Amino acid sequence: MADIVVIGAGLAGLACAGALARSGADVVVLDKGRGVGGRCATRRIEGQPVDHGLCFLHGTDAAFLAAIDAVDAERIPGWPRLVAGRGTPCHPTAFDPSSRRVAFVDGVNVFAKHLARGLDVRTNTKVTNLSLDDGQIHAATEDGAVFSAHTLVFALPVEQTSALLAPVPALAGPRALLGTVCTHPCWTLIARYDGPDDPLDAEISYPPEGALQLVVHDSSKRRHPRVRTLVLQARPSWSARNLELSAEAVTAILLAEAAALLGPWAGTPSLAVAHRWRHARVDRGTGLAAPYRLALPGGVRIGIAGEAFDPVGGAEAAFRSGQRLARRIGGEDRC
Amino acid sequence: MLSELDELVDRDRDHECGGVGADNVCVRLVGVAQLPTRFGHFRIAAFWNNRDGKDHVAIIKGDVRGGEDVPTRLHSECLTGDALGSLRCDCRDQLESSLSKIGALDRGIVLYLRQEGRGIGLMNKVRAYALQDRGLDTVEANLALGFGDDERDYAIAAHMLRSLEVGSIQLMTNNPNKIKQLEQFGIRVSGRLPHVLPPNPYNQFYLETKAKRSGHYIDFGVRLPEQAEPVVVEGMDEPEVG
Repeated sequence: MADIVVIGAGLAGLACAGALARSGADVVVLDKGRGVGGRCATRRIEGQPVDHGLCFLHGTDAAFLAAIDAVDAERIPGWPRLVAGRGTPCHPTAFDPSSRRVAFVDGVNVFAKHLARGLDVRTNTKVTNLSLDDGQIHAATEDGAVFSAHTLVFALPVEQTSALLAPVPALAGPRALLGTVCTHPCWTLIARYDGPDDPLDAEISYPPEGALQLVVHDSSKRRHPRVRTLVLQARPSWSARNLELSAEAVTAILLAEAAALLGPWAGTPSLAVAHRWRHARVDRGTGLAAPYRLALPGGVRIGIAGEAFDPVGGAEAAFRSGQRLARRIGGEDRC
Repeated sequence: MLSELDELVDRDRDHECGGVGADNVCVRLVGVAQLPTRFGHFRIAAFWNNRDGKDHVAIIKGDVRGGEDVPTRLHSECLTGDALGSLRCDCRDQLESSLSKIGALDRGIVLYLRQEGRGIGLMNKVRAYALQDRGLDTVEANLALGFGDDERDYAIAAHMLRSLEVGSIQLMTNNPNKIKQLEQFGIRVSGRLPHVLPPNPYNQFYLETKAKRSGHYIDFGVRLPEQAEPVVVEGMDEPEVG
């Protein structure tokens, strides 16, 4: 039995687990995915990295920036230099002069891997049920394994945390709080093109209207030789309306929009992969101010962190809320 | 005619310091004007800050620049209470009482901090109310909604008092922790004035509750701590000052 089980190996879960482990706790991190990072995701297509979730890190928080600076990987200075379009960026302060932006040649996921170093992370481990007894909380997985602990940290999209809490009557309070938070989906398309990869007019563009919220020239972050690759992210409202469309239908619509924006070439990739991120972004109007910690009768402690639990939003919020929750579990903060 | 505070507006035109507190908040005094009110004749001083678009103000009675032992009250904005007369909090009583008391003195300051819902905004405050309506009332939920982390209030307040060149203050509060916080940010607090509200039909229940509870005052678990301190109504004992 570990002291602390963390569910979710995204930036919030890794930041929390890392801080707890450094303070001497015995921590296990569980994630249903194949790798760590959650939305801080990089895929490889024929060896070339493609950032599949967030496309660069940005922030102002000293601890967050220090953690990024500690990553031993090649940066792309100044990326994105060429930003176009009158549309709204996903995060309102991403391009503030006071905010620092960091992109990695090997993909943004190197940051998550860096945070996971030295931690006991079990990937491909999906928690499906919780139960509470004898001063312990038990997380049962799809495969029938059970992880027991005195402290359980949820670092998941709020909807997934809420679903896990549902069978435990003692946790109705935190569920009511989670019910005030809302996340938005994002249809994402990776499109790969034959031929040379010359620079484009923009490394990121934000179209003012239509289905696409942003178009990223992902391969502009990669070493030569490289294959031209775009990442297309659909708007939250469009993604929500079309969430249950087939990947083929979404691919056709998003490619048609890309062709209208960039030229006919963009409509005919050699490879197109659509992905439905069900919980891509926290609604900026519904985020909370701080991670949640609850001591239950019998001594079990629950912690909840994630992007929704810090007002700055984005990856920075996820990281900060994880660290802050770790401090509160460790008892450094008041309450 | 230029007043002694107008000189400070001139001085602040290009003011830029390292700021106060963890957020390095810096403020500039940008304007001072007369403000006759039903509570007395004041001046109002408006401050710009480098963190957000919130315009904090000081409501000033008499000469405070260079003053020692200046009676001072920190009030956090509460639209529902201050303006709409909500009975979910005591903010309007707190504000009226501080303006009346300071309005009756030779000098004093009410800092009106535009930090609705203790900095997290009206929206989260209403969400907190909604959760209370559904029976959830825990310190933890309030923290997650942004109630309870008030370091920034004091940092901005400290810089505002420094900008007004106030020598030392007597803080009108029932929360001794506020004194410690302000002192950490370099403000000299020479004393504490208890902030006691006159009884009215709406705060009678505090006196009744007092008889039922062993404690002296209503604690933060019962209501949202909008003004970061316990409510004291005439007729109640003061909270223990630790």
